[in-house]
Amino acid sequence: MTLSVSGLSAVRSGRTILFPTSLEIEPGARIGLVGASGSGKSTLGHALIDTLRAQGSCVAHVPQSPDEALDPLRRMAFHWREAETALGLPHDADRQQALFRALKIETGDLRKRPWGWSRGMQQRFVIAMALIGAPNLLVMDEPTSALDPIVAARTMVLLEDYLAARDTALVLITHDLGLAAGRVTRLLVMNAGRIIEDRPTSELLAAPRTTQAASLCAHRNWLALPC
Amino acid sequence: MTRSLLGLFLRAFVVLTGTALATFTLLWNAPGDPALAIAMARFDAVVPADVIDLVRAEAGLDAGFWAAFRGWVVPLISGNFGNSSVTGRPVWPDLASATSYTVPLALAGLAIGLAISIPLAVLATRHPGSWLDRFAVGIASLGAAIPAYWLGLLLILLFAVKLAWLPAMGATTPSHVILPALTLGLGVAAALTRIIRSGILEARGQPFMPALKRRGISEHALAREHVGPHAAIPVITVFGLELAFLLEGAVMVEVIFGRPGLGSFLVGAIEARDFPKVQGVVILAALLFVGINLVIDVIYRLIDPRMGTQNA
Ligand SMILES: Nc1ncnc2c1ncn2[C@@H]1O[C@H](COP(=O)(O)OP(=O)(O)OP(=O)(O)O)[C@@H](O)[C@H]1O
Ligand SMILES: [Mg+2]
Repeated sequence: MTLSVSGLSAVRSGRTILFPTSLEIEPGARIGLVGASGSGKSTLGHALIDTLRAQGSCVAHVPQSPDEALDPLRRMAFHWREAETALGLPHDADRQQALFRALKIETGDLRKRPWGWSRGMQQRFVIAMALIGAPNLLVMDEPTSALDPIVAARTMVLLEDYLAARDTALVLITHDLGLAAGRVTRLLVMNAGRIIEDRPTSELLAAPRTTQAASLCAHRNWLALPC
Repeated sequence: MTRSLLGLFLRAFVVLTGTALATFTLLWNAPGDPALAIAMARFDAVVPADVIDLVRAEAGLDAGFWAAFRGWVVPLISGNFGNSSVTGRPVWPDLASATSYTVPLALAGLAIGLAISIPLAVLATRHPGSWLDRFAVGIASLGAAIPAYWLGLLLILLFAVKLAWLPAMGATTPSHVILPALTLGLGVAAALTRIIRSGILEARGQPFMPALKRRGISEHALAREHVGPHAAIPVITVFGLELAFLLEGAVMVEVIFGRPGLGSFLVGAIEARDFPKVQGVVILAALLFVGINLVIDVIYRLIDPRMGTQNA
C-alpha cells in the first residue's frame, strides 16, 4: 500500500520552518532526502513520522546518533523490551536473534548499558530496534554520521539486504550524497523548508536543475565506497 | 565496583580521622584553662591551685597533646566514648539518650520534607511555567527564605497558643514531636522542591527523550523509567549536603521547642568545658554523616555505574 501524506507543515517560534508539503511513498521505495543544514530535513522527517503514525501506519525512526536514541542509564536489554512493549508486542527471543544476526551485533552483551558498546554497535542496535515491528517505513536521520565511512557503508548494506526482503520503504536523510547516491532511487532536495527537487537519483545527479542541488552535487564526492 | 568501594571506605576513614584530629586540636587550643573550668564546674567554688593540678592530671591534660589524643582515640575505636571530665560518668549513655531524641526528629522532618516536595515538584513540572508551577516555586523560595526559628514560633503561635491543638515545649508525649518535625520538614521541603523540580526538567531535556517519545513509549513509562532515574542523580547529590542542614536544623529546632537532644547536650557540654562530651558529639555526627554519604555513594553507583570510573 502506498503511503501518502499531504499538507505537512511546521511552525516554530512563529517562523515557518516547513511549508505545506505532500509526499507519496511506494512500498519498498528508497528515497534520499538531502539539503543544506537547517533546510528542514529533520523537521520533515519528524512530521512524516507523526502524521503516518496518526494514520495507523507502522513507522520507525532512527536518529542521527545513538546518544539521541538510548538512555545511558538503562541496559540494552531494557531498551529492547521497552521498544517491544511500545509496539504492543510480547518479547520474542527469535525475532531479536534474527535482527541481531542481520545487523551483525550478536556479540553485544545485552546486560551492558549503551556506553559499554562501541558507537557503531550502538547505532546498529538502534537500527535493529527500529525494525522490531516490521515497519512499512523507516525514516533514518543521518543514521551513519556517527560512524566511520567503512562501518557506515557496511551497516547500510546489511540494512538494505534486510529491507529488500520485506518491502519496507526507506527515507534516508543525509548530508552524504556519496552514501545516498548508490542506495536510493529517488532524491528529494530541500531548501528553506520546501522540497525544491524530487527526481530519480541518476537524473538528478546527471543534471541538477536548481543551484542548491547543483552545489550539493559539486561539493560531494559521490563515488561509491570500495565496499 | 570493589575497587571504587575500597576508595569510598578509604575516604570515609580519612574524613573521620581528620574530624577527630581537628576537633581535638581546636579544643586543646581553646582559650582559658580547661582544668580550672572543670574544677569550678565540679566543686562550684573557688579552688586552690593544687586541686586544679590534680584535676589536670586526672583529666589527662598534663600528658601533652599526642598522649592525650591517643588516650581519647584508642578507646574510641572500640566504641568507648570515655568519661565526662566533669561528672566522671561515661559519656555514651547520655549521648545515646540525646541521640534517641534527635535522630527521630531529623527522620520525621526528612519524611515530611519528602512527602511535600516530591508531589509538589511532580505537579509543578507537569506544565512548566503554569500558575501551579510558579506557585510551587514561589512557595519553595519563600520557605527557603524563612528562618527555622521564625517558622517555629509561627507554628507555636498558631497550633499551640491560638488553636491549642498541639503541645509546643518539651518532649514528654509523642505528639510533642509534631510541631518541631513540621518546622524542620517545611524547611527541607522548600529546598528539595526546587532541586527535584529542576532535576525533572533537566531530565526531560536529555537528548534521547524525543526519540523515546517517537518510539511510542507511554508518558507514564517515560516518567518512571527515564525521567525518574535521571532526575534522581542531582537530587541524591544534594541530599548528602541536605543532611548536614537537617542535623544542624534539628539542633536549632530542639532549642526553639525546648526539646532534649544533641542540641542541649552540646550546649551543656560546651558551657561545662566537658571536652569528652563535646568530642563525642562531633565524632558521632561525623560518623553519621560519613555513613549516610557512603550509602548515598553506593546508590549513586547503582543508578549510574559510570560514576567513579574513567567513563564518567
Ligand atoms: N524548536 C525550534 N525553534 C525554532 N526553530 C527551529 C526549531 N527546530 C528547528 N528550527 C529551525 O528549523 C530549521 C530546520 O531545522 P531542521 O533540524 O529540520 O534542519 P535540518 O535540515 O535537519 O538540518 P541538519 O542537516 O543540520 O540536521 C532550522 O533553521 C532550525 O533553526
Ligand atoms: Mg537534521
